[in-house]
Formats: sequence, structure tokens, C-alpha cells
Amino acid sequence: MPVISFILKALVIILAQVVIFNNIVLLNVAVPFVFIYIIMAMPVTWSTNVSVAAGFLIGLAIDICSDTPGVNALACTVLAFARKPIFHLYVQRDEDLTGLPPSVRTLGVPVFMKYALTMTLAYCMMVFTIDAFAIFSFWRMLSQIVCSTAFTFVIIYALDAIFSSKRK
Amino acid sequence: MHELFSFFIRWSKWFVFVFFVALSCALLFSGNPYQHHVYLTSANSVASGIYNMRNSVASYFDLREINEDLNLRNAALESEVLALREQIREADARIQSDTMHLPGVLAQYNFVVAHVISNSIARAHNYITINKGSDDGIAPEMGVIDRNGVVGIVNVTGPHSARIISLLNPHFKLSCKIKGSEHFGSLVWDGNDPTVALLEELPRHTVFAPGDTIVTSGYSAVFPEGIPVGYVMEDQRRHDENFFTLRVRLSTDFTTLSNVQVVVDSLRAEHIALQAYDTDKQ
Repeated sequence: MPVISFILKALVIILAQVVIFNNIVLLNVAVPFVFIYIIMAMPVTWSTNVSVAAGFLIGLAIDICSDTPGVNALACTVLAFARKPIFHLYVQRDEDLTGLPPSVRTLGVPVFMKYALTMTLAYCMMVFTIDAFAIFSFWRMLSQIVCSTAFTFVIIYALDAIFSSKRK
Repeated sequence: MHELFSFFIRWSKWFVFVFFVALSCALLFSGNPYQHHVYLTSANSVASGIYNMRNSVASYFDLREINEDLNLRNAALESEVLALREQIREADARIQSDTMHLPGVLAQYNFVVAHVISNSIARAHNYITINKGSDDGIAPEMGVIDRNGVVGIVNVTGPHSARIISLLNPHFKLSCKIKGSEHFGSLVWDGNDPTVALLEELPRHTVFAPGDTIVTSGYSAVFPEGIPVGYVMEDQRRHDENFFTLRVRLSTDFTTLSNVQVVVDSLRAEHIALQAYDTDKQ
């Protein structure tokens, strides 16, 4: 059952990304990558094999819909692989939180904020570095990374409030 | 044998990770966008279905500006029609003695009107998806324009949708000239500002002033001659050895793109046959 609700949630978020968030660009630099919330919210007990495969599929779906072949697939694969180490930067292994999907409700505000910010920053750095292979401009890349991280983080924080309060 | 299995199981996450990274890299570095399969682009049926639904709602949002643009265009065409009528009247008088046939420049071209269902401007390589495809007579390498100017070139087609390489994509180079002169250069986007592109390889002796109109040269057979592309911005010449590079303000507003026309060249088959003939000879 948690798997089915996870898949439904993932589909809703991918659809929202493709239909709404892909069309939002603030100041020509800030792009919201809301779909990485799906990777963030995978229960930490899932094996790395499963989460990497799921990450790749999520990235591929976004790539197909937004004509960026491979960019998001690669970044999502790496992010899903790095998810567990990043999570354990902030949560000790012996704490009994690991079976639940990471959210404000399960981790508390400060830990979740640190976790979400690190994941978002990692993702934005990957995506815009890959983009920079096509057209390289250092200051543009830097402003894209900083602004997109901030923008994505704000939306993901709001999204987390919606999704984790629903299940109370 | 047992040790081999336990080796694979112990290191399985690295194998899975490397496998998916390799798969992503294969997609990422597949290079030429013409080689992408239609299922891997936004012209596939699921993605274009989603975009069609979205567009059926969102296309109402820009109607006010589009209406204004159309009114302006209508007025311009109206005055052009009057001017042409005048010319025809004069020509008719002369034609009495002379059975001359005057083919229009655009007679060989038809236009298929399509709606943009997906568009991007902020990426390094931007693409546009439209809701007409091969069933409507659209084929790869056809030009796409809108009411203000050049938009892009058709890249991949599905039966009811097609993907266009936007002018805002470094894969797309457009042969252009300054209106009223015959010197031509190559227009390419530099990846920064969706309203500005660069006109490169313009011969040094070209005469121009800021505000001059840039139009298509008509050398590529993808676009008819004289379709507006943009305007020369302030006099910012970058000196190369023998060539100028100009900054051009694009006349097409890519942020509010909604209706476009695909240029169908009725002589296209003939052009392709001629080019093939040439290469066969060599």
C-alpha cells in the first residue's frame, strides 16, 4: 500500500512539474525542480538499487516531457544514489526514524530543512553543470544554481506541508 | 560460484548505479537532435496529450495581446492590400500590350497553422512542441514562423505533433541578411537572453545602422526570402578578422508564443532531388 500511494504521489508531482512548474522561470535564472521532492521523500529503508532505479525513471519521465535528453535522468540517478549518505549527515544511524518517509513531521523542522537544502543544492549544481557543457558562462551558471536552489527549496518546503499533513 | 554471487550482491548498488548513469549518459551525449527517436521527445503521444490538455486551458491567457498584435498586423496588411491593388491597376494598364506573367515570391509556399503546446526559453537547448504532425503534411526541416517572425525549424514529427528546434537553440543557425542589402550572415543564439541573438560572419564592408531590420536570406529553401527575424541593436560591432558580429533583438516574442505557421514548400521535393543529383555527380 505505501508503494501504491508513493507511485500516485510521484505521478501527481511529475504532472505538476510538467504542466505548471516547467513554465515558471523567475528573472530568467530561477527554475523550480519540484519533482526532486519525490526522491527526497522515499523512505530511507528502501534499498539503494530500488531508489536509484526509481530516480532514473523519474528523471527520464521529466526529460521526455521537457526535451532535455539525459540531463535530469543523470542528475536524478546520482541524487537517488547520494540520498542515503546525505540523509545520514543529519540523522544518526541508530535513531528510529529511518522507516518513515523524510518530512518535516518525521524529522522536525531544522533537520528536514538542512536535508532538503542539501539535496536541492546538490541537484541544481548537477543540472546546471551539465547545462554548462553546452553553453558555458560562469556567472550565469552560479546565479542559476543559487536562485534555482532557493526557489526550489521554498516550493518543496510548501509541498511537504501539503503532502505530510494529508496523512495524519 | 557462491562467492561470485555474494560478490555481485554485496556490490549490487554500484552495478545498478553505474548501469543507470551509463544509460543517462548515452541519452545525454547522443548528440544530434535529429537522431532522437520520437518516443524520447515531447512529440510522443503521452507527453503531447498532456500538453494539449494544458494548452486548451492556457491558450486563453494571452488572447488580449494576441488580439492586439493581430489588429496591428491586420492594419498593416490592409494598407499593403490597398497599395498592391493600386500597383495591379497600373500593371493592368501596361499588361494589355504585354502578356507577362508575374509569379509571387510566396506562390511556392503554403502555410499550416498550428498551436504551440509546449515551449521553453530558459534552457541551453530550447525546443517547442506543436499540435500538428506528419498527418497534416509536416515533415522534418520545414521552417516555422509566427506573426512576428522566424520561430524555428521542425525537427521530429509524430502523427499529430511535432517538435521544433527553437531559434533559442545553438543547434539552429539561420542564414540572414540586412533588409535592403545582399550581404548575409549566420544568426545563432548565445544562450543568455531569450530576446537577443547574434548575427555572425557578416562581411566587414556591410553598411548598417541600429534599428535596421534583419530578414531571412532565402538561401536555405527552408524559409522564404524576407521573413523578419529581428532588428540590429545599438552599434556594438565585435571585430573579427574579416567579419562583423552584431547583436540582434529578435522580433518573435518567445515568452508568449502561441500560434505558429509551418512553411510547406511545394518545391521541396524538387530541391532535394536537385541536391541529391549534385552529390551523386561528385
